Amino acid sequence: MPYEELTHTADISLRVWGASLEELYESAARGMFGIMGRPAKRTVARLVSLAAADRESLLVDWLSELLYLHETNGELYDHFEVSVKAGAPDWALDSRVFGGPGKVTGTKIKAVTYHGLQISFSDGVYKATLVFDA
Amino acid sequence: MAYERALRQLSEYVFEIPVGFREDMRVPARLYADNELAAMAAKDRSLAQLVNVACLPGVVGYALAMPDIHEGYGFPIGGVAATDGRHGVISPGGVGYDINCGVRLLASNLDADEVRPFLGQVMDAIAAAVPAGVGVTGEIRLAKVRLDDVLEGGAQWAVSAGFGRREDIDHCEGGGRLEWARASAVSARARERGREQVGTLGAGNHFIELSEVVQVFDAGAADVFGLRPGQLVVQLHSGSRGLGHQVATDFVRSFQAVVRREGYQLPDRELVCAPLGSSEGQDYLAAMSAAANFAWANRQVMSEILRRACERALAGKVRAVDLRLVYDVAHNVAKLERHTVHGKATEVCVHRKGATRAFPAGHKELPSDYIGVGQPVLVPGDMGTASYVLVGTEKAMSETFGSCCHGAGRVLSRSAARKEVNSLELRRSLEAQGITIRAHNLGSLAEEAPAAYKDVERVVSVVEGAGLARRVARLIPLGVVKG
Repeated sequence: MPYEELTHTADISLRVWGASLEELYESAARGMFGIMGRPAKRTVARLVSLAAADRESLLVDWLSELLYLHETNGELYDHFEVSVKAGAPDWALDSRVFGGPGKVTGTKIKAVTYHGLQISFSDGVYKATLVFDA
Repeated sequence: MAYERALRQLSEYVFEIPVGFREDMRVPARLYADNELAAMAAKDRSLAQLVNVACLPGVVGYALAMPDIHEGYGFPIGGVAATDGRHGVISPGGVGYDINCGVRLLASNLDADEVRPFLGQVMDAIAAAVPAGVGVTGEIRLAKVRLDDVLEGGAQWAVSAGFGRREDIDHCEGGGRLEWARASAVSARARERGREQVGTLGAGNHFIELSEVVQVFDAGAADVFGLRPGQLVVQLHSGSRGLGHQVATDFVRSFQAVVRREGYQLPDRELVCAPLGSSEGQDYLAAMSAAANFAWANRQVMSEILRRACERALAGKVRAVDLRLVYDVAHNVAKLERHTVHGKATEVCVHRKGATRAFPAGHKELPSDYIGVGQPVLVPGDMGTASYVLVGTEKAMSETFGSCCHGAGRVLSRSAARKEVNSLELRRSLEAQGITIRAHNLGSLAEEAPAAYKDVERVVSVVEGAGLARRVARLIPLGVVKG
C-alpha cells in the first residue's frame, strides 16, 4: 500500500508516497477512501480538472474535490488516473475517477487540512503527510 | 520534549510558555491544566500548536488552551485566541471545519424514572426521525425554503418556519444568529453540500443523548436553569455539516494567496489568516457567520423533530412530555466581542476552537432570565461517564476572554480506539450499565468509546479550580444516538 495511517489524537493522519507526483496524488486518494470505505461496484467515472498555485495546494484541492463529489453524489471511489502538469505558474491536474454508490462504513472524513503539509522528494520517492478533519 | 520543558507552572491550574521560547511568538501561551493533564498535553503536538497560535498577527493577551486540549490542525482543540479588532487577523484555522459545532441542552418536565421503562422505544423514535450520516438527506426538504433565509436567520429562521418556540431563541448564544452573516459570501458548492442537510446530525462525535440530572451543586443556578435531581434532560451535539466544511475549505484555500500578499510568516499553512479589515477577512467573517447560522438552524430543527419523536414515543405512557431549551452554545466559532485588554475595553475577534463561551452574571448578552446567575456552560463528557452544566464567571472574562472548556477532550486517536475497543462489546458493556445505544454506523462507535476521552471530572475540576466556571449540575447518560 502506498499509504499508512499515523497517530493523531483527534483526527486522521496519513503518510502517502509515490514514484511520481501522479502516483502520490493517486495514493492520497486511495488512502482517503481506504479510511472511509469502498464502493460495492465500480459503475461511474468522473472527470476532475484543477489548477493551484503550488503542489501542496493542488493536493488539498484534489482531495477536497473528491470529498465534494462523494458527498453530493453519495458515491465512493477506488480507482484514480491522474496526470499533473508542472507550474507555469500554476500546477494543473486532470484525472479520471472511478467508483460507485456507497455509504461510509469506516471513519467519515469531513475535510482536508494544510496542517504541516509539505511534499518532499528524495531517493526517487515523493512523500507527503496529510491531516484530515474527521 | 522542548515544549514540555518550556512549560512553567504559574499556579495550581495555570501553566505558561513565555514569549521568547520561540522567536516568532507575539504573546505568551497559557494552558489551564493540572499536572496530569499538562503531561497529557505534552504527549501529542498540542503544545507546539498552541505556541503556533501565539504567533498570529495581531494576537492579544495570551494564546490560551483549556484542560480538554488535544492535537488538532492549525489551532489545537481547546484553543482560544483573541486578535485585535482593528489591526488583527481572522483565521479559519482558529475556527475549524465544523463551523459552530455546538451543543444544546433541553430539560424535560419528566423524571428519568418515568421514562426508563420506555427508553428503547424513545431511542428508536429519535434514531428514526433524525438522520445521522454525513450526506444523508434530512426530513426537512429545503426545496421550497430559501437557503439564504437559513444562512442569515439561523435559529430565528427555524422558529419562524415552525420549528420551535420564540423562547428557544432567547436561550441560544447570540440569539442563535450571528449578525455578520451574508449569504452571498457562501459559495455555490457549500450551498450544494448544505441544501439537504438541515435537520441531520452528522457523523463522528455528534450525538443525541438522553441523560438524568444526578447531582446539583448550585441550587440557585440550577433552579434558574430549570434543572433538578432525577430529571430527564436531552443533549444534542451537531454542527454546520457539509456546508460549514466547504466554507472552511474555500477560505483556507483562498487565504493562502492573502498570506503571500501580506507577507505573513506563519509556522503552519493551516493558520492562514487575513486582516479583519480586508475584503477577504470580511468575506470570511460573513461566510463563517452564515455557516454558524446554518448550524443553529440545524440544531433548532433537530430539537423540534426530537420533541415530536419523544411525544409520539411516550404518548399515553407517561404525562405529556415538554422539552424546554436550557441553552445552546457554539464551540467552534470566531466572534467580535468587547474585552478588557491591558486595562482597556477593546473590540477583539475571539476565536474559540473546541472552547465554550462562559460569560458571567450581568453580561448584557445573557437572556434576561439568566442575567442574575450567568451563562450556562455545557460540557458533554463521553457516552459512558457524565456531562456537566457549569456557569460562567468574572474570572473567565478577565483571564480567558470569557471562555471555558468544551468537553472531556480526546486522549486516544480514532484508529487506536478502533484497535483497542470492539464496537459490539462496547455497546454490550454500555447497555449493561443501563445506557441504551443506537448507532447509525456501529463500526465507528469504538472511536467514541469512553476510553478515548480524558476524565471529564478532572477537566471540570480544573476549570472550577481555576475559577473559569462553577459546577451547577452533573448529568449521567441514559441513552445515546450516535451519528
